[in-house]
Amino acid sequence: MISDILVIIHDYWLLLLIGQYPNGPLGGLANTLILSALSIALAFPISIVLALARLSKWPILRWPVTVLVYVTRGVPLLMLILWSYFLVPLLTGANVPSFITMLTTLVVYQGAFLSEVVRAGIVALGNGQMDAGRALGHSYLGTMRYIILPQALYNMIPSILSTFVSTIKDTTLGYVINVPDLTFAASQVNNQLLTQPFQVFLILALVYYAICWSLTYVAHRLERRITRRRAGLGVRLAAVIAPAKIVSEQS
Amino acid sequence: MSTPELQQDLHAIRISKVSKRYGDFPVLKEINAEVTRGEVVVICGPSGSGKSTLIRTINRLEEINSGSISFDGRDIHAPMKTRELNRMRSRIGFVFQSFNLFPHLSVVDNVSMSPIRVKGVAPDVAHKKALLLLDRVGLADKANAYPGQLSGGQQQRVAIARALAMEPPVMLFDEPTSALDPEMVGEVLAVMKSLAAEGMTMLCVTHEMGFARDVADRIWFLDAGQILETATPEEFFKHPRHPRAQRFLADLRH
Repeated sequence: MISDILVIIHDYWLLLLIGQYPNGPLGGLANTLILSALSIALAFPISIVLALARLSKWPILRWPVTVLVYVTRGVPLLMLILWSYFLVPLLTGANVPSFITMLTTLVVYQGAFLSEVVRAGIVALGNGQMDAGRALGHSYLGTMRYIILPQALYNMIPSILSTFVSTIKDTTLGYVINVPDLTFAASQVNNQLLTQPFQVFLILALVYYAICWSLTYVAHRLERRITRRRAGLGVRLAAVIAPAKIVSEQS
Repeated sequence: MSTPELQQDLHAIRISKVSKRYGDFPVLKEINAEVTRGEVVVICGPSGSGKSTLIRTINRLEEINSGSISFDGRDIHAPMKTRELNRMRSRIGFVFQSFNLFPHLSVVDNVSMSPIRVKGVAPDVAHKKALLLLDRVGLADKANAYPGQLSGGQQQRVAIARALAMEPPVMLFDEPTSALDPEMVGEVLAVMKSLAAEGMTMLCVTHEMGFARDVADRIWFLDAGQILETATPEEFFKHPRHPRAQRFLADLRH
């Protein structure tokens, strides 16, 4: 069993790592990581904009975004993927690569989820910080940028990271629209071997587990550190950004 | 004695017919009052009388339903560009009951941030100024600490320094000592007293009657959204005219 797995890894590691590249599109683990990283990088700033819109006093900003967030959160991701896969080419007439379809869908979906996390972080701060900023003459957006968001995002780091983890897991659904990612590569391997699906998909699970577990681990560490900071042990904000520094300070 | 024009000039804040409701409940009823330059006014009254709401309308943290509040010769509640409102607010110092320091910034950054971001003061100039102000409230040695590491009294003194950093001609205090442990009230009141001694125009909502007696030029007694009595501390504490004020003071003595 273990020897089967080692043989599969030995024979197919390159396919699992980069797909059929350079003879075909980049795929495999590399593409999974690129898709995840791009989704997160795009969804995060969008989520802040969505959160601010949902907290806006202007209904014209608040309502459309609220509807978007509710609909997105209320529909399975697979439905959204299939919709954009079949509907966008129908509506625009353009032939959109499946990678782009998947990326866009993930950005919208995770953006909506993250926006609720960000919004919760802002609301949890209470009105005092906004009052203080405004009383000193800061504009609303200035208060948000320099006073509210640095605190809200910092406090929500664990939740934000766990949304990142679920984004990575969600990229597997790209399989249904033939995004050449790690899952796709694994199923290609399975189709060639035919007789060892358990071994192939165990490898797949282990790789995803390793990636997601390391991010979850980081999230837990950060969560502990934030809890300690709130308890007044005085770990500074910069320390989280430079973990090495705090280790040396504590020792 | 003085001409009306001169008197007008002396008014730091003029509150005219200010009314505010929360739903059907009237919080402020046609309030008329003035604060002259250099004056220290203490607003007192039972809880729920509208003291905090009134002081928060002066820098428009609360909107009003009718009336006007003039400051710098302008009605701060008039329709205006938000940039104008921000500018007016930056000239009114405000100290909160719950301090509301920025916990993610060091003490010196708390004090210097708004001059830098709002007024465009050069960072090194703002920093030096902040250190001077911290020295003045007795916290020069805490410049690099974070708010979470300070006691309540120290936090409130930083909050006062932060407000002063904008060089406001007027300071508003909303129950600045109510959230403090008793032994820390004195250090905050001492800073407020020194401000008053330097001629700062101040409007304070407070339950510290000792402070009111020693420092206030005038006391406004507020009940159920109305100013029932305006008097010097001496008159107010010795011979309160309004029966409600008499009862309030009698209750305090028990």
